[in-house]
Amino acid sequence: MNDITPNSLNRRSFLAKSAGAGLVLAPPNILRAANADGSDKIHVALIGFGKQGQVLFDCLKNISGLHYQAVCDISDWNRTKGINSVNAHQGFKPEGYVDIDEMLSAEKGLDAVVIATPDFWHSPHTVKCLEAGLNVYCEKMMSNTIDGARAMVHAAEKSGKLCQIGHQRRSNPRYRYTHDQLINGKKICGQITNVQGQWNRSLGSSQPIGGSKLPKSIIVSEDVLNRYGFKDMNQYLNWRLYRDLSGGPISDLGAHQIDIFNWFLGAVPKRVYASGGKAYFKDREHFDNVMCIFDYDTDQGEVRAFYEVLTTTSSGGGFWENFMGTEATIKTAEIASTSAIYRESGAPSWDELVDQNYIKKKPAPPKPAPSADAVASYESAAPEEYDLPGGFNKLAHQPHLENYFAAVRGKATLNCDARHAFESEAPIFWVNPSALSGQPIDLKSEHLSV
Amino acid sequence: MSKEEIATDEAAEKNSCCHNKIAMVYGAWLLRLWLGVRAIQTGLEKFSGKVGSEELVKIGGDPNAYGLVADEKVKLYGPQFYHGVPEALMGKFEKEPLLLGFGLKVYDVILGPALIVLGLTILLGIASRTSLFLLGILYTSLTWGLILISQNDGVAWLGTHMILVVMALALAEHNRFTILKKW
Repeated sequence: MNDITPNSLNRRSFLAKSAGAGLVLAPPNILRAANADGSDKIHVALIGFGKQGQVLFDCLKNISGLHYQAVCDISDWNRTKGINSVNAHQGFKPEGYVDIDEMLSAEKGLDAVVIATPDFWHSPHTVKCLEAGLNVYCEKMMSNTIDGARAMVHAAEKSGKLCQIGHQRRSNPRYRYTHDQLINGKKICGQITNVQGQWNRSLGSSQPIGGSKLPKSIIVSEDVLNRYGFKDMNQYLNWRLYRDLSGGPISDLGAHQIDIFNWFLGAVPKRVYASGGKAYFKDREHFDNVMCIFDYDTDQGEVRAFYEVLTTTSSGGGFWENFMGTEATIKTAEIASTSAIYRESGAPSWDELVDQNYIKKKPAPPKPAPSADAVASYESAAPEEYDLPGGFNKLAHQPHLENYFAAVRGKATLNCDARHAFESEAPIFWVNPSALSGQPIDLKSEHLSV
Repeated sequence: MSKEEIATDEAAEKNSCCHNKIAMVYGAWLLRLWLGVRAIQTGLEKFSGKVGSEELVKIGGDPNAYGLVADEKVKLYGPQFYHGVPEALMGKFEKEPLLLGFGLKVYDVILGPALIVLGLTILLGIASRTSLFLLGILYTSLTWGLILISQNDGVAWLGTHMILVVMALALAEHNRFTILKKW
């Protein structure tokens, strides 16, 4: 076992070469910035104040030293909600804008923006803000197209400004500890040979938003919708269901977890095989169910990773990732209660790790009664169950936003800058094409490089 | 019946009446205590919240550098935790066309303080009858909200509160040791 301590770790120690694609998950550029007016306050504009914008603002309220100068959203309802939320928090109203260009030309002294617009607007909005000299936090998926994502990396590197992509698990203390200490430090999994992940959503949670009778207050006028790329209110509210506006469930949901596959394995896949279909939602443009397998060559050897995103069932308990090794399986999830660590019966003792509080042992479940329908000699012994030594008490996106603003202050490096996010997201762009063609895709430089 | 027998009966009746009066006073006190404590503590709970531990978990003998903290949460009281209408119900109420948004906000703000104030006035015996009446109105308003969102268990639960309020009003004349007997 490696003796890296939790206090002497190198966060980027996981970085490794992907032999198949010949790509390297390189360390991020050491990008640091100072706020524009030299004061302690960071002047922020919030771009997009829909559901996800509200989620991010709820986290931002817990971060001190931020001054919200402007809110931009094409919807009167969202914009007013954003302005009122900011007003309630900081005691005075920010300026409101429908159009981002108008905001960028009118607002002086901005340092940073937080972008939570639909996926197809991420790239244009991010590029505009970076070109205007602003630091950017942009929600994932970077873009609905790989070229859009590439443009974000180019703009970030050309501008020299910070660009953090909202893969919030990268800043989650539980994920970071698992990655640094348990997988790479203590190597408790042994050789990881397989990874499995899922995000399964029930039918009830997968229904379209809105309906035939929308409240007047939320309706955006048709000319505004058309100007900003939406055909009508239904498309505006349900942009995730349209091919031109989003990457579909594999991008909306899968991107979070496939990012973790790549991060934890320290590699990008060399091949993807995918299958998808419209098993239930026949009229949707995107697949409602997608299953895919990624092949990796890692420093440890071959790894096969299976991922499924199903929008017709919550089977399997929602969303999680399983890293399966010869000595243990680590099940990670954003919801702490879903996480667990399972020690294989033949693995070396973990008593010392438990004594030093690297992991906690969970009480053993009661032994099941002998069953006549099982052939005991064919069964593996049940693995012992362990847990992380602690959790964290913040909203899920807060550590990632804290990391971003610490980087803006020059006190940290980004946990998921645009280049790293691109390297991790690039394979995801090839899942739908593989499923559509019914063919595996060998991921080469042209598929994965910036 | 002799004079002596009549006198004995009157004394027994008087004694019994006195005993009943004490029972009524005890009954009034018990209801006053129950309703007062119930309202005060319910109001106070609206100012409670749970916060996670800030203490970093020690790993290998030292506080960890990742920000991992103990999983246990600590219950605290303070105005920053105030939630009049429970969050889980608020969303449902907001969708109810009969509930005006502004009215709901006002109700959310006054519910906790109203419960504490009415609980205190009932417990201390300040304008007990009016306080009990207002508490009954408050429980009626809560009942109406629960009817709107089809929470029948809650309606029945509040119904038992209403019975106790009415019983306390019926025993109001036996309520002793009050600060303000008027109203």
